[in-house]
Amino acid sequence: MPSVRIPPPYRGPSLGAAEVDVSGATIGECLEAVERKYPGFLAQVLDDDGNVHRFVKLFKNGEHVLRDPLRTTLASADDLEIIAAIAGG
Amino acid sequence: MADRMICVDMTTETVELKPFPQKWQMLGGRGLSAKILLDECNPKCDALGPENVLVLAPGVLSGTAAPTSGRLSVGGKSPLTGGIKEANTGGQPGQHLMKLGYRVIVVKGKPKDANKRFALEVTAEGAKLVPADEFKGLLNYTLCDRLHTKYPKTTSFITIGPAGEMQLKGSSVATTDQDNRYPARHAARGGLGAVMGSKGLKYVAVDPGRASVVQGADKKKFNELCKEYSQAYLAGPLMFKHGTSSVVPVANMLHTFPHKNRTSGQSPDVKTLDGARIVESFDTLGGGMHNCMTGCIVKCSNIVHGEDGKYVTSALEFETLTLLGSNCAVAKWQDVADLDRLCDELGIDTIETGAALGVLMDAGQMQWGDAEAMKALLRDLPNGSERGKAIGNGVVATGKHTGHKRIPHGKGQSLPAWDPRPLKATGVTYCTSAMGADHTAGLIINPGLPQDKFAYESQKVQLVNAVCDSSGFCQFLQPNLDNIRAFYGALVGREVTREEIHGQGWQTLCDEWEFNKRAGFSAEDDVLSECLMQDPIGPAKAVFDVPAEIIAAVYTRMTPGEDMFTAKASG
Repeated sequence: MPSVRIPPPYRGPSLGAAEVDVSGATIGECLEAVERKYPGFLAQVLDDDGNVHRFVKLFKNGEHVLRDPLRTTLASADDLEIIAAIAGG
Repeated sequence: MADRMICVDMTTETVELKPFPQKWQMLGGRGLSAKILLDECNPKCDALGPENVLVLAPGVLSGTAAPTSGRLSVGGKSPLTGGIKEANTGGQPGQHLMKLGYRVIVVKGKPKDANKRFALEVTAEGAKLVPADEFKGLLNYTLCDRLHTKYPKTTSFITIGPAGEMQLKGSSVATTDQDNRYPARHAARGGLGAVMGSKGLKYVAVDPGRASVVQGADKKKFNELCKEYSQAYLAGPLMFKHGTSSVVPVANMLHTFPHKNRTSGQSPDVKTLDGARIVESFDTLGGGMHNCMTGCIVKCSNIVHGEDGKYVTSALEFETLTLLGSNCAVAKWQDVADLDRLCDELGIDTIETGAALGVLMDAGQMQWGDAEAMKALLRDLPNGSERGKAIGNGVVATGKHTGHKRIPHGKGQSLPAWDPRPLKATGVTYCTSAMGADHTAGLIINPGLPQDKFAYESQKVQLVNAVCDSSGFCQFLQPNLDNIRAFYGALVGREVTREEIHGQGWQTLCDEWEFNKRAGFSAEDDVLSECLMQDPIGPAKAVFDVPAEIIAAVYTRMTPGEDMFTAKASG
């Protein structure tokens, strides 16, 4: 199953869990699977229109996913890292 | 030429250059400041008296080709908290001092005539004090406009505005930036501008002349490191490409975008205060992103223009949008830009000032969101009204002035945006940092972190940030301990071990804690205001309720895990 790494700022709904293995063939499906497990997670990643928040970046196996991220496929050995643009200031 | 230190005695109006001790070769910035203050400053002294010591210390790597490494630490006993203080800033003077081989400026004493003003002029030939009465009372931008005509174009400046001269406890020390040479960068927290003002020092001028970049002892390795590290950073997510103001919507989502003196963690004006609006304004009004110091690859600083297309301020940061914006129910970023400029002109901390104005409004003595009244009050601040002095002296002074009871602070310093109720581990940092409530001491944005991890995480990030703040690296570059020790190794020509770098960070924290202990602080001071423990915030109705034993555990050195060396600095 693909692995989804949750950044520290978004670990409230997951009660601190940093990584979760979920079923899904695309990034979008995997994010929805995380939401089913940890309600409240998805709103941190997607905006009201269902697009990825501009302050969120997604990395598949270390590569920044720039085009059509939610439809990008994920195989069972893949990992998805979510990066949240958040720090001090 | 061997490294030197500039020792200034304001009582005798003399300057002496001394050799910089070899034992401090890998000590700079915050760590060096703590060491000097612990050795040479009476912790019980009057922070605005002759016994206090003002330290201006560039980081170890400042002046080298290491990317984004030119931070300058300003240190002293804080008139705001009564404890040790280090606030660091970007801009050019840190780089310039190190290129000249000056590792630190130490200012002691106090002029016999408090009405006199002085300037310290620093060049390759040495340093000297000169009279500066003609600049008395000048706003920071006006001051720098005049200084730019007086000194060579290569010169950078460290200045105070009227607030520092008035010795207000929320006053800042400004540095000039790279492009426009504006006094737009500030070592803002803890009132160190007042310490500089108490010494009669209006500005420091640093002219590097033709001084060149500092080279590593292992020059080839150092240059390779610079290249590799820069390439890796630029290939990454570039989180600060649009500046820290882009954090606004995320902070609001996490209920840590304080509204109306922290009675809520979210603002109804989040969309108009969002930094994205500032970025959008670049197309129509001009301005844009830039680097505040030579060699910065983060480029997080925005230049903000007004409706007339002319420069207003730089940089308009997340913390300022929060405290002078949302916390005071100000809805438009353009108003916050004007307020930011006023604070920079006066030389006062935007966080402390915004928090103080929030208390004033919460006490019913100013309308929520009345940006024009806020601007008028700040413009009038140099006239010395009781209300102006209260605001300039910070959130606790404003609480006393108004008689209001909801005063969010830690050790007398107002809280930054990051709220310790949804972010309890950050609250542990606020309680235990010798700096008081300061997010740059160790920010932990992890609302799901289990309570049993709070102490370790807080100690870890406080230690990493202490090393970062000593190195000259900007926290926004987000280096880790392994990165920093690699640069140190190439700089001094030998391996710097994990044990050594960890020990250095721990020692800095211990030096700071020891200073505060000698100043009279105890565990009873490791608390936050009652309102943060009693008034819930967010849907989880969170209060700051971390047990005292977890807070106290930060003071015991823990065995570092692998994560200690790979964790990024997080300010």
